Amino acid sequence: MSAPAAPGAASAEDLVTLTIDGEQVSVPKGTLIIRAAEMVGTIVPRFCDHPLLDPVGACRQCVVEVEGQPKPVMSCTVPVAEDMVVRTHLTSAMARRGQEGTLELLLVNHPLDCPMCDKGGECPLQDQALAHGANQSRFLDQKRKYEKPVAVSPQVLLDRERCVLCARCTRFSEQISGDPFIELFERGALEQVAIYEDEPYHSYFSGNTIQICPVGALTSTSYRFKARSFDVVTTPSVCDGCSAGCGQTVQSRRGEVQRQLARTNMDVNEAWNCDKGRFSFPHLTHAQRLTTPMERVDGELVPTTWSRALARVADAVRASQDVGPGRTALVSGGRLADEDAHVAARLARTVLGTDLVEHRTRFAPADEAPARAVLLARAGGAPGLTYADVEHAPVIVVAGLDPEEEVPVLHLRLRKAWRQHRARIVVVGPHLGTLDGIAWRRVATAPGAEPAALAALAYGDGEIAAALRGDGAPAVLVGERAGAGSLAAGTRLAEAVGGGVAFVPRRAGDAGGLAAGLAPGLLPGGRLLADAADRAEVEAAWGPLPAHLDGAAPVDGLRGILAAAADGAVDVLLLAGADLARDAQSAALAERALARVAGAGTVVVQDLALTETAARYADVVLPVTATQERDGARTDWEGRAQRFRRAVDAPELAQDDWEAFVQLAAVLGHRLYGSLDAIRAEQEQLGVRAAAHPLPEAASAGSTGAPSGDALLAVVRPLLLDGGTMLAGADDLRATARAATVGVSRADAARLGIVDGADVTVTGAGGATVTLPTAVLPDLVPGAVVLPRTSTEPPVTRLADEDGVVAVTLAPVAVPAEVGA
Amino acid sequence: MAATEVKVLSARYDVPGVDDLEVYEQHGGYAGLRRALEMQPAYIIEVVKASGLRGRGGAGFPTGLKWSFVAQGTGKPVYVVCNADEGEPGTFKDRPLMERDPHALVEGMIVAGLALNSEQGYIYLRGEFAHASRQLAKAIRQAYAAGYLGEDVMGSGKRYHLTLHRAAGAYICGEETALLDSLEGRRGQPRLRPPFPAVHGLYGCPTTVNNVESIAMVPLLLVNGAEWFQQWGTEKSPGTKLICISGEVRNPGNYEVAMGTPISELIELAGGMLDGRELKFFCPGGSSTPMLPASMADTPYTFEDIAGAGSLLGTGALMLFSDRTSVVSVVRRFTEFYEHESCGKCTPCREGGYWASQVLARIETGTGVMDDLDTLERICGSVAGRSFCALGDALTSPIMSSLQYFRDEYVEHIRKGVSPFGVAPQRDVPMLDPAAVAATARERASLSALLSAATSAAGDGSGA
Amino acid sequence: MTLQAWLTAAGGAVALVLLGWLALTRTVLGRGLAVPLRAMFVKPETASYPEAPRPTAPRFHGRHQLNRYADGLEKCIGCELCAWACPADAIFVQGGDNTEEQRFSPGERYAEDYQINYNRCILCGLCIEACPTRALTMTQEYEIAADSREGLIWTKDMLLVDPPEDGYDTPHTDREVRDRGLNYYGGLAVTPPTRKGGSFAPATAAPLQRAGAVVPRRELPLVPPGTGDAEGEPDGDGGSAGAGDA
Repeated sequence: MSAPAAPGAASAEDLVTLTIDGEQVSVPKGTLIIRAAEMVGTIVPRFCDHPLLDPVGACRQCVVEVEGQPKPVMSCTVPVAEDMVVRTHLTSAMARRGQEGTLELLLVNHPLDCPMCDKGGECPLQDQALAHGANQSRFLDQKRKYEKPVAVSPQVLLDRERCVLCARCTRFSEQISGDPFIELFERGALEQVAIYEDEPYHSYFSGNTIQICPVGALTSTSYRFKARSFDVVTTPSVCDGCSAGCGQTVQSRRGEVQRQLARTNMDVNEAWNCDKGRFSFPHLTHAQRLTTPMERVDGELVPTTWSRALARVADAVRASQDVGPGRTALVSGGRLADEDAHVAARLARTVLGTDLVEHRTRFAPADEAPARAVLLARAGGAPGLTYADVEHAPVIVVAGLDPEEEVPVLHLRLRKAWRQHRARIVVVGPHLGTLDGIAWRRVATAPGAEPAALAALAYGDGEIAAALRGDGAPAVLVGERAGAGSLAAGTRLAEAVGGGVAFVPRRAGDAGGLAAGLAPGLLPGGRLLADAADRAEVEAAWGPLPAHLDGAAPVDGLRGILAAAADGAVDVLLLAGADLARDAQSAALAERALARVAGAGTVVVQDLALTETAARYADVVLPVTATQERDGARTDWEGRAQRFRRAVDAPELAQDDWEAFVQLAAVLGHRLYGSLDAIRAEQEQLGVRAAAHPLPEAASAGSTGAPSGDALLAVVRPLLLDGGTMLAGADDLRATARAATVGVSRADAARLGIVDGADVTVTGAGGATVTLPTAVLPDLVPGAVVLPRTSTEPPVTRLADEDGVVAVTLAPVAVPAEVGA
Repeated sequence: MAATEVKVLSARYDVPGVDDLEVYEQHGGYAGLRRALEMQPAYIIEVVKASGLRGRGGAGFPTGLKWSFVAQGTGKPVYVVCNADEGEPGTFKDRPLMERDPHALVEGMIVAGLALNSEQGYIYLRGEFAHASRQLAKAIRQAYAAGYLGEDVMGSGKRYHLTLHRAAGAYICGEETALLDSLEGRRGQPRLRPPFPAVHGLYGCPTTVNNVESIAMVPLLLVNGAEWFQQWGTEKSPGTKLICISGEVRNPGNYEVAMGTPISELIELAGGMLDGRELKFFCPGGSSTPMLPASMADTPYTFEDIAGAGSLLGTGALMLFSDRTSVVSVVRRFTEFYEHESCGKCTPCREGGYWASQVLARIETGTGVMDDLDTLERICGSVAGRSFCALGDALTSPIMSSLQYFRDEYVEHIRKGVSPFGVAPQRDVPMLDPAAVAATARERASLSALLSAATSAAGDGSGA
Repeated sequence: MTLQAWLTAAGGAVALVLLGWLALTRTVLGRGLAVPLRAMFVKPETASYPEAPRPTAPRFHGRHQLNRYADGLEKCIGCELCAWACPADAIFVQGGDNTEEQRFSPGERYAEDYQINYNRCILCGLCIEACPTRALTMTQEYEIAADSREGLIWTKDMLLVDPPEDGYDTPHTDREVRDRGLNYYGGLAVTPPTRKGGSFAPATAAPLQRAGAVVPRRELPLVPPGTGDAEGEPDGDGGSAGAGDA
């Protein structure tokens, strides 16, 4: 098939020695000539060739001369051979002539509208025409004409006149992202890229085609005519859209982000990113963005100063401490940078004196955080299971995770493993989700029953067990929706078969929050609050922890915190990037808690935008900076920490989250940190626990309450493009969102008389309803439904009971005289 | 001294009702299959090799050798595909065979299947051949009914199925890898080679793709032996060949002759040139083979002699043109065909055809400039040998050969500003304003003069 | 007078002249006095500037202007090449998208905003060299002083020339532009783009008249192309747009 992808590991006999332009070079067997030439520093001009795509040999630009071959050779399609003598355009007149000829032909039908083309200035065709082309074309005739531009999706524009038909975009969509809704049509000079008549190019990865287009044929609507490549300030960054940790390039002009590109990082995202990462930046300048602190005066939020706002918070905290210890809570939503989370953890423990901390807006199983702390300590601060491990794993077990919706770039790696390395993907859970095209086997379980299935996977003589026990290290990926005990079960499975395991959270700050110990009963670096040695290590850095934290049983995550708040046990609720009214797994419980605290105490919201929680409940609102506006670091799901740099200035009075925390501590009389470097130094000093704790025992099969009667248990899956605040303003991006549907199994659909595509009313706890079209899923286990998390209005979190369980009944929307409800 | 026809493959053409199995059997049909069932597969290939049969689809690659390359014992099925996508302009040899004697092809496919241990064959038939498709479908039906095809071929215990696939009519699908893509249900575009179809062909399995005429000849080889086949032709081009004579002759048509017959005799066979016309030039093997002037009419019709004369035997489509025909017009028509049939995958063929046909249209309709001749040569230089498949080379060969032999005629067209043959435009041509073109050409000429003056003044001897 | 006396007198005079010359050129005071002495014999240079400004040198680089085609469409396509070329970073351009109803320039792109900051501009002219459509040229006007920094930032409406006679101010609609049938870029490109996706537009659709080279469109004769006009680059539209050229 294609060239091997693992250089470096090649032993001496796998090397082939050849001569390129008189220079001897040894490269791994199977390397293409064009890659070998790169190794000696010769860049052979090319258009269709892309190192991550299969060779196609369409553009015929990469002509080289190979001694002994009468015809010119296309270096992007021919692998090296022993003693091959290659002469590139630098030494061969034949190759140079060939390249000039091809360039002249390419320019025959290419309009010379470089000055108005968005690619002008960063265009491979422009650059190569300058470097390798003839200085004049002999073409006097008529160029082909097309309407320009055509929108192939709301965010991708196609200018067919400029297209050189290199098929990079079509190959990307077919080979990498696996949604080939963009194809070549027609033939001859009329060959053109197009979309199917009734299917726009809706892909989560469509932006990559724009980036790899070697001409200005594919451009993005959001960047159209906004700036020129030579007129932007380019800053390397890391995407904050999910826990994938994609390298990103932020390009700004006059302090405003113009576009974001995927930054090549072969260890993480290779050269790709998802559209959410690429196009979601308009939220930075959206009208909902907070730019100044606000406080609630007579029921209205009015602008104020930082000092007044912080003083009000500090007063509330002091008043609460007078009532009793541990009556404040801090919830961060999974957006915080690693440093923020670290400061938040210390602020909560030492200044606020509370263990009511949480970094997840979902009601995670009680054993999830301790189990993750164990994995963190075991990995010793380095990435545990990596993307590369996943790519080369012969078997990949995925439980409770839908990578394309949650961590899109991981989905690309899984696809690569499946396509190039023939990895066998085993999906454990109630449905296949977007892995349906590449899954090898599927172990169906009821929602939440994944641990038992995972535990059983390695045993017996089934084909899955045999595959897991075969050569190579399997990978186990456990996601957020796997039931209680899944991560421990997955870890034991990985241990049993000699593989690796990783927990894959969805949000970007999740891994950092966990590492900072931003969960009840946890301390930084995989330490436990209940462990005296751990506590001593942390106290060495932080000073003494309040005595009342000793021996107190940790609350049950966010559910416990909200329950306590609803019972009046919390006076001050600090929300850093957590829109609990929308995002908390149970909106009912969250609203009760927020209403109680807002009434009797103080709700502090520290966020990018004026969220629903802020607008309805906050007493104090603090504006903070976004990833693009600050320095920091984030840890991805692998455990890889990556720093990002400030690309644009923060709006008005917004400050970094850690600065807000530090200032609050200062008002309360505590000096925490003076700079990011100080935080980083302490993070480094603390490190992770030297020896990992034992894995938590499997919790008593905490059956998530089998619903009674007609109710169906919902798998609440977030969609990549939903109603999130980070997508505010990115209208073109949201236009490509997948339709929210309610996934129903065939058996249930037949039982309830629901047909595919028909609207149904979904009724959840407390009678809240959502009306959605049905998608009958053949792969869904009976008794379960699949619901999108925050794609609907009201969000599905409103259908949850106070335990966060969504048990729903479905009723077809009455269609005149059709199916009786 | 007209040559005589040697009817071997076409022997049954005039037998009434030979498209029915019974009549076909009465005329020696399926004897080759019976012989094949007595032989080891490898021996069948040996016989074909020994006969020296060369592929009749254009490239002239020895069929036996091609079959011996097909990977055996890989655990994957082997496919035999018959390329019945007869699309080369001037070629009409497969269609009569399939229409009149369809069982000959069916029998050949079964024999090929036996030789290659294949259990599935495909006939990739050009979409426009409606009658041939009916005839082949009927023949396959009859062969199934008679037990020649199916789970148990004639009680031998071997399985062989044959599927007729009607294509959608794209010239490029005559290229074997594009054919395979099309057969798999994708856009017909040539594939990267290696891997070759013999190893990684249809559905990633070992595959051989052969022309109708080659396959239909195989049963006859098995019945009569390799020596029988070599009684005709030369050492390197043995046997007989179905040739398609077209153009300005009295009796254009399909003739089967021994290889090695001089072209002038073939013309006589077709009744000679039309009254009052003299042979000016001819394409020996279809439009994609370089044209040759009348002075080369004595060349024997063999692969090696025609190659020696600077052209190719191709599919055996002999197109003859008289002195009343404009070379430019013929070349333009050919080029427009290739422009239209280019699949668009690679730059040289896609853009080269587009450009060259516009230039030729201008020359023929009187708006050419002298520079255009250089431009044409340059386009051809950028296309030939650099395109993805042979279509690019095919595009350049009529242009290059006509410029080689008939440059004067091009010059005459441009000088007079009108075709001396008074040919009407065949197709809507992008009409350019002649003066604008000339002006731009003048500008360029003066520029290049300036440039060369500058370089020579600088004492730089390169002057390229 | 004896010869001797005459020689003495002459010698004395020579010595006096020599001495005077030495005093004027070799002594500080003398060299200072020589200046007004010389000035007495030079024609006065004084110009009555604000009342009667002098013409500048023919190729003087004064302030910029943004030009229009004969029908009033703006030549500027917002490509920012001028801003890129500017060594003083004095130019700001923001591109925008022409629509069917609001067309400012031929092609897809126009300058939504265009500013030149004369606090920074050094009038070097690199910007006008970079301009691919000759939209930006320099006038000979040099009176660009202002009493505030803001006043030295010239915006698009200040830089854009008035529509020519028989032309219209922008925006135009696509229909209007198409109906005029002008060819804005020379060559055979058809602008604005044809809406015939998927097939070749016949070359006859490409008008040969070049908007840049003509003045009143109604008076446009169908110049037989190739008579020199086809190649003649329109004049650098300083001041009156292309009047009387060709």
